[in-house]
Amino acid sequence: MLPLPIVIALAVGVALLAMSYFGGPALAKARAGRLALLVAVVVLPLLLSVGNLSYGFHESSQTTFCLSCHEMQRHGQSLFVDDKHALAAIHYQNRFIDRETVCYSCHKDYALFGDARAKLNGLRHVWAHYVTGVPEKIKLYQPYASSNCLHCHDDARRFREQVAHQPVMDALTSGSVSCLSCHQVAHDMAKVEARELWQAR
Amino acid sequence: MNDASFRRACAVAGLGLTVELAAAIHWTPATFILAAAVGTPLVLLGGAMFLRAVWQVMKDKGAA
Repeated sequence: MLPLPIVIALAVGVALLAMSYFGGPALAKARAGRLALLVAVVVLPLLLSVGNLSYGFHESSQTTFCLSCHEMQRHGQSLFVDDKHALAAIHYQNRFIDRETVCYSCHKDYALFGDARAKLNGLRHVWAHYVTGVPEKIKLYQPYASSNCLHCHDDARRFREQVAHQPVMDALTSGSVSCLSCHQVAHDMAKVEARELWQAR
Repeated sequence: MNDASFRRACAVAGLGLTVELAAAIHWTPATFILAAAVGTPLVLLGGAMFLRAVWQVMKDKGAA
């Protein structure tokens, strides 16, 4: 359930519309009544819808939202694997990114319409969940873009001074070499199966 | 104001807001999409129908 104030506000909006439905024609006879109807039928529902939608979009970036589908729960567990090379796990466990938005932070595209594209991909997930069925092996729609990694790491001292990065720095920044060609394990599903979890100790 | 068109506007906007309220109570990815794809357009449509009804009344008054 969304927070109670949002639910109450929406319920009040519905009640006002019901009152307008039954008492509106009588109210419309007076100037103040017409203004009240304008607020109850147009302004308030519009504001409530915009507020509800914007809260919903914000919530849909949360880790709990992504993991609310059972198909993603094993990927959620991969955040806890005891593997210092698994990218998802080290980012989550070391708090390199905000834990509340861990899926979204790494999987959204940071280009101009990145947010919109991420939400459209979310729609495809829901479509797969309810209509076409989830594929046996879950994979990305397109290869993971290194620009997503560089969004945070690009000017990080640890990244810049890492000896292994020096020979490929230009190739990495131009996108001709993927970060994943060396950092190959994103989600360590084998350790999820083996229940080798960091917090299980 | 034409009662029938006004009531239709209220009913459509009310239906949209009810969809949003139901989605807010049982909030899942699917109900969020339902609220965004069905609830909000119904609210917008209801508002537009109301404004059209008001405009029609003003136009009729102007003609009279």
